[in-house]
Amino acid sequence: MKAFRHLIFFTLFGILFNTVISYAQSVKVTGEVAIPLELKLTDVAQMPQTTVIRKDKDGKDHSYSGVILATILQKAGVTLGKDLRGENLTKFISVEASDGYQVIFALAELDKDFTDRNIILASTIDGQPLPQGDGTFRIIVQDEKKPARCIKQVTGIKVAFAK
Amino acid sequence: MILKNERYKAVNYLKSHRKGLLISLLFIAVTLISILGYTDNPIPLGPYKFEYPANFGNRINIPPDNPTTQQGVYLGRMLFYETKLSAHNALSCASCHKQELAFTDGKAFSRGVDFKLTSRNSMSLVNLLWARKFFWDGRATGLEAQAVIPMSNPHEMGQDTAISAKKLNSDKQYHALFKLVYGDENITGDRIIKAIAQFERTLISANSKYDQYLANKYQPTTDELKGMELFNRSPQADKGIRGANCTHCHGGAKNYMELFHNNGLDSIPKDKGIETLTGVATDRARFKVPTLRNIALTAPYMHDGRFKTLNQVLDHYSDHVLQSPALSSVFRGESNEIGGKQLKLDPEEKKQIIAFLNMLTDSTFVTDPRFSDPRLSKNKTKL
Ligand code: HEC
Ligand code: HEC
Repeated sequence: MKAFRHLIFFTLFGILFNTVISYAQSVKVTGEVAIPLELKLTDVAQMPQTTVIRKDKDGKDHSYSGVILATILQKAGVTLGKDLRGENLTKFISVEASDGYQVIFALAELDKDFTDRNIILASTIDGQPLPQGDGTFRIIVQDEKKPARCIKQVTGIKVAFAK
Repeated sequence: MILKNERYKAVNYLKSHRKGLLISLLFIAVTLISILGYTDNPIPLGPYKFEYPANFGNRINIPPDNPTTQQGVYLGRMLFYETKLSAHNALSCASCHKQELAFTDGKAFSRGVDFKLTSRNSMSLVNLLWARKFFWDGRATGLEAQAVIPMSNPHEMGQDTAISAKKLNSDKQYHALFKLVYGDENITGDRIIKAIAQFERTLISANSKYDQYLANKYQPTTDELKGMELFNRSPQADKGIRGANCTHCHGGAKNYMELFHNNGLDSIPKDKGIETLTGVATDRARFKVPTLRNIALTAPYMHDGRFKTLNQVLDHYSDHVLQSPALSSVFRGESNEIGGKQLKLDPEEKKQIIAFLNMLTDSTFVTDPRFSDPRLSKNKTKL
């Protein structure tokens, strides 16, 4: 009887665990990188967190937390900081969402030697996971007037040269 | 007197040179016939020049190993209408992609060579030059990769491309055509596919009333204008602004944006869409947002052809969007009623949006002889 109860418990736990996992998206960092990455929520949670406040569709201020994009790119060995010069200034990142939506940022927009504006890969809003429909990760661009580049459901970041 | 003499001379001349004259006449006749024969079947050669309006943009997709040539397009067009590419010579691409229906087939599901039905609705083939991901779930990443699939799928054309190549090999006309396109008579599955993809890239539609309106050549009716406004605007009930925000997914000059969404057809969907590919539940029943170009011609609608009319489509978006974890965030809480859960358009507004959708029909595209079966076309010379 006890064994049976354990069986039920582990089956239920397994189902629950699997659903949680299967809802989570991961972010692949590829292209002009030294080390391609695939980041899950747990990986991102271990990196230094930054909070950015900006308005959402509801017109109210929200506080988003996540990792500065440059930190992630540096982890992948992207040419930032002292290497962001010469032809490397023609590099950009293309951020892709699971719905096919795509936006780009020039590398210089992300480098702290160029700007103090924070652009983060956010995973929480007001201390909570992002709402259903917005995905596991969302880009939040500090102070940008239009929200169009605050792309939701991020699944990929590709570094490339402008041709 | 002199005249008479001259005539005499001429007659004599003719008599003595009759043979030579006959030969020259024959020569002229042969050249004439071959010139006529040539203009009857001229396969133009050289690079194919795509023509489209500037507002379509140049983010086009042509793989470096399959440049588009006029002869390649001609061959591809022959092959698009070629039933030999299927088991028992039963179907061609055109069986499920008919020009007069903007390259759809008017059915919810199409019958393949094995008399079984396809699992999804046939798709309109238009402005594919700009597309990157093909099929309802975007699983094919190029037209070349796409074309292999219906050919070998047992529920569609059901024949390996190697067998198709063999069958074409026993048809003399193809030897010359393949030589013209690829430099030698070798017929292979890969070459068949490349030619078909070249033809598909030329299926450009840019002459609907909407295109003409954007080019300042057409003045829309009041209903069309109202419909366009609703289509393009998102509702803000608290400010009394009415809208339908279709443009979020269906906007742009091409009426196509290559996005993948769940538009709330089911809470528990039968077809899991791109979740089947990614394994992520938030991708459940997400499908390619199809082009709305020629939408009035491509019923029935949605990946499973569930709606027979545009009225039913508008009723869905207005009143019956179903909740599920993968439902697009665009449909969450967007309403013309304060605090409303559904979009809620009134009957007049639905009619106006449909008037706008009718502006997207390009009747020159569906009758263009360059896209029809070259075996039937009297316009071969116009290629
Ligand atoms: C038996 C009917 C049938 C035949 C024959 C057929 N198709 Fe299709 N076609 C379909 C269906 C159904 C779909 C959608 C399938 C899916 O998404 O899984 C489709 C989708 C497509 C698409 C994707 C369009 C888009 O916007 O993503 C292209 C391109 C295409 N077909 C080209 C062809 C070509 C080329 C041939 C001949 C080699 C062909 N089809 C033969 C039924 C057919
Ligand atoms: C969030 C994105 C989104 C919005 C907003 C949206 N659609 Fe769609 N639309 C889709 C998707 C995805 C499909 C295909 C769904 C399927 O087959 O499962 C579709 C299908 C359609 C089709 C059928 C196309 C075909 O070839 O079968 C029509 C017509 C259409 N939409 C019209 C509209 C209109 C009108 C509006 C505004 C009231 C609108 N859509 C708003 C995503 C959207």
